[in-house]
Amino acid sequence: MRPLLRRVMWWVKRRRKEDELREELQFHLDEETEERRDAGLPDDEARWAARRDLGNEVRLREDVRSLWSWRPLDELAQDLRYAFRTLFKARAVTIFAVLSLALGIGANTAIYSFMDAILLRALPVPDPPSLVVMTWQSKAIAFGTSSGSEFVMHSIDGSFYKRPDGGVEGRIFPYRGFERLRQASTPVVTSLFTFFSDRKLNVLVDGEAELSSVLYVSGEFFRGVAVPPAAGRGLVPDDDRAGAPAVAVVSAGYGQRRFGSAANAVDRQILINNVPFTIVGVASPEFFGVDPGSAPSLYLPMHANLLLDRDAAERYLDQNYYWAGIMGRLRPGVGIAAAQSVLATAFEQFAASTATTDGERANLPMLRVQEAAGGLDTLRRKYSKPLYVLLTMVGLILAIACANTANLLLARATARQREIAVRISIGAGRGRLIRQLLTESLVLSLLSGALGVLIAIAGTRLLTVLLAAGSDSFTIDAEVNWHALAVTLLLSIACGVLFGLVPALQSTRPALVPALKDASTGLSSRPARARNPRLRVQQALVAAQISLLMVLLVAAGLFARTLSNLQSIPLGFNPDRVLLFDVNAVQAGYAPADAARYYADLRRRLSDLPGIRAATLSHASLIRAGRQHPVTIDGVRAQGTRLLQTGPGFFTAMQIPILAGREIDERDRAGTVDVAVISDLFARRFLPNESPLGRRVKIGGSSPMEVEIVGVAASARYGPLKYAVPPVLYIAYAQVPALQLQQMTYALRTDGEPMRYVPAIREAARAADSRVPITNITTQTGEIDQTINQEIVLARLCTSFAAIALLIACVGLYGTMAYAVVRRTREIGIRMALGAQRRGVVWMVLREACVLTAVGLAISLPIALGMSRFIESFLFDMKPNDPRALGFALAALLGAALAASYGPARRASRIDPAAALRHD
Amino acid sequence: MPGQRPRVELLRGTLDLMILRTLLPGPRHGHAIAKHIQRTTEDLLQVETGSLYPALYRLEASGCVAASWERSDKGKRARYYRITPKGRKQLASEQSKWNAFVRAMGFLLKPTVEEGR
Repeated sequence: MRPLLRRVMWWVKRRRKEDELREELQFHLDEETEERRDAGLPDDEARWAARRDLGNEVRLREDVRSLWSWRPLDELAQDLRYAFRTLFKARAVTIFAVLSLALGIGANTAIYSFMDAILLRALPVPDPPSLVVMTWQSKAIAFGTSSGSEFVMHSIDGSFYKRPDGGVEGRIFPYRGFERLRQASTPVVTSLFTFFSDRKLNVLVDGEAELSSVLYVSGEFFRGVAVPPAAGRGLVPDDDRAGAPAVAVVSAGYGQRRFGSAANAVDRQILINNVPFTIVGVASPEFFGVDPGSAPSLYLPMHANLLLDRDAAERYLDQNYYWAGIMGRLRPGVGIAAAQSVLATAFEQFAASTATTDGERANLPMLRVQEAAGGLDTLRRKYSKPLYVLLTMVGLILAIACANTANLLLARATARQREIAVRISIGAGRGRLIRQLLTESLVLSLLSGALGVLIAIAGTRLLTVLLAAGSDSFTIDAEVNWHALAVTLLLSIACGVLFGLVPALQSTRPALVPALKDASTGLSSRPARARNPRLRVQQALVAAQISLLMVLLVAAGLFARTLSNLQSIPLGFNPDRVLLFDVNAVQAGYAPADAARYYADLRRRLSDLPGIRAATLSHASLIRAGRQHPVTIDGVRAQGTRLLQTGPGFFTAMQIPILAGREIDERDRAGTVDVAVISDLFARRFLPNESPLGRRVKIGGSSPMEVEIVGVAASARYGPLKYAVPPVLYIAYAQVPALQLQQMTYALRTDGEPMRYVPAIREAARAADSRVPITNITTQTGEIDQTINQEIVLARLCTSFAAIALLIACVGLYGTMAYAVVRRTREIGIRMALGAQRRGVVWMVLREACVLTAVGLAISLPIALGMSRFIESFLFDMKPNDPRALGFALAALLGAALAASYGPARRASRIDPAAALRHD
Repeated sequence: MPGQRPRVELLRGTLDLMILRTLLPGPRHGHAIAKHIQRTTEDLLQVETGSLYPALYRLEASGCVAASWERSDKGKRARYYRITPKGRKQLASEQSKWNAFVRAMGFLLKPTVEEGR
């Protein structure tokens, strides 16, 4: 044991040590007495001699005691004891302060945990800082216009992004570009690898089919990330060439789930989209690829897509087709700038060689090498801004809670003014007193911090549930880790010092004589509030709280209005009690022609299930649909028309009214007349002033399909909620060319809660064909909510935050007003003795609250307006300074302020003048 | 009372040395340490109880001795002290310092030829 530790231990056990010493000395005395008695002394004389021999026992004990008493610790213990006692005495104040601070600290920790998980966490690979990702940047481009090409990227499988400066950037490349970069990269990187993630693929293991996410990776990938496999081997360059044996690596979670253990998975045969693959390895358990936003179940060699996708060969050849991500690992000692200068030149030459027009040559993409320790930035792009908004919100709450606690402590310090004055006048040092008061506030804040951790843990779970919103591909694994705990501790201490220091400094500097005389409630020629600096500080704190609160309320109002705007968008169909799920027979190995038959068979089986009122299908759900083909009527292009392949009974099942003609039904099969139903909007826009029934429409460019309009349906939503409803052409899936047939989405209208029917539906699907899995099961309302999930989460969180803040600030206002009334008891008594009306007194107090509120508002309005511009991109169908949101915030604030100060005002008006004048 | 013999005043720090040396053969309680020092020095050195116990606790605090409660030969609970490895090291170094001191004093105090003259 080290001496310092032993000292602390002794200090902790100092009472027992004291007893031990007493016992030890007693033993010494007994021994000594006995010895002398043995030498022949009489009993009492022996005892006396022994005691004399021992000397001054008090001094001895004092000498020894100094070893285990320790002044700083002694004083700290005193302070702590005293702090707990005073906190316990003012239980109501303490509980309120701890709760409000804990909410603030907990919310901050929870949001910080998410930021930590999304924005700060590095990939679980060795030496993450040496990972880099290739990106390109260019000036603004007009992508996908029909009139000639202005950019070397002609087509894309993935996304590119707008930059704040108006340009665009992306991180996918043509495969040829990757090959070119790989040749040039040897001096600066140890490995350069490419990858891309496809749609989920149908994976059949032991007769059980399932859709699984896949990451295609080039042969260098596993060497580049340098994470050794949990079993078997990683993919190597030899696996990644056309004609190589079909092999796969599975994730540890997948191996565990489907094969029982990682080792069991190796050498197993699986069918991917009906093509046999051999599993050669299992990735390490913590490895999830290079994108924290998606964790693939399978890793396939890049060129394995030749086996699974009939158009894949084209991908490798087309130099203007952007689809593959590229990452690399820098050689030791090579900086990003050095790597960039080498690679940018190579890419520039490549891009220039792919340009086909002068327009393209004028705006070539420029390569940027960026650090990729945290992996790809899909999550960061999606969540960083909402998280910053939330962080601002919870920061405001914490600020309000701090101001409030400072206020409460100030009020209490006033109540203790006399005690403190007494302590100072009998010789307590100011430093010692400040330390005592700070100890109190630190105890308060650390208690709050401890409670805050619990709130943070619950909050993190809640936020995960809210953000995932039922999506099974949600990969953010936020947890309250030691990072977040350190932040909490720092926050708590900072809060404690912040709200403790002002009251401590103020109350230890009293004018002693008045404080001792307790003349503070006496009269003077000046009004009470100007005379009392403490009240002024309190008022400033209240005004600050109100201004912060206003900002929160405005934000909450804006988000709530945005959500209600979104939710009141007319759908044109009935979303209640509709179950949706996806089925892909083509992927499971059906020939295109057979797939249509399978889909019809499955629909019949599902319609027969008890409790299913109607079963139908379409190529995508109404909310997710987005298919566009050139549509012409008599050679005139019907601009902006969208297409939906539907099954029989679609309009009945979705409850979209048919305005004229009939809906698509069982009669509309391959071989009969190809039919279409148009939306009302389509009819009004392209066939006005005539009956559309019987008119013919051409779909597609080179070999168009001609359909006859047999019905007009009321306009219904097509595509995301936020977009305008386009004109829509509904056609029968059974009549489209078989090659266009892919995945279908079934929609089932049920009698009861839709999710209850899932087991029966799975059973029916298994009976139809167990190789075809049903996936993405959700309800229609759930699907809609998922598309506006960000708005839902922001609105819910912000309104709860605002409610919490409102409550905290109201209690603060109430406390301040109540305190002001107590201070002015005598003044009010005199006013009333001189004839002031009760109503007048109530008004006098309320007026003060109103002035405080007005000051707070004056400060916050410009801030609130500025802030609402910052969140403009989150708003829907409203301006940032929406008058209704502002009005709501104002009303809530004024109402709350008046409600909070009415109690004290009423009490003021009930003051008995006689009693008040006797009041000392 | 037994006849008083002249006592030697203790030098500072010597008490620690004496205690550590006394504990070398085995654990003892405080009273036994005092008696042992007294007896082995033929009553020349008498340890003041008022300094013995603070010294013991100081040695314990610095880790040179360790203490535990045990039964004495007469069956009473007594606090026994035992020398620790650190104590042994300390003893060795103190002892060599002491020897050096004694040697130095010896040189100083030995009557020399010059002085006699």
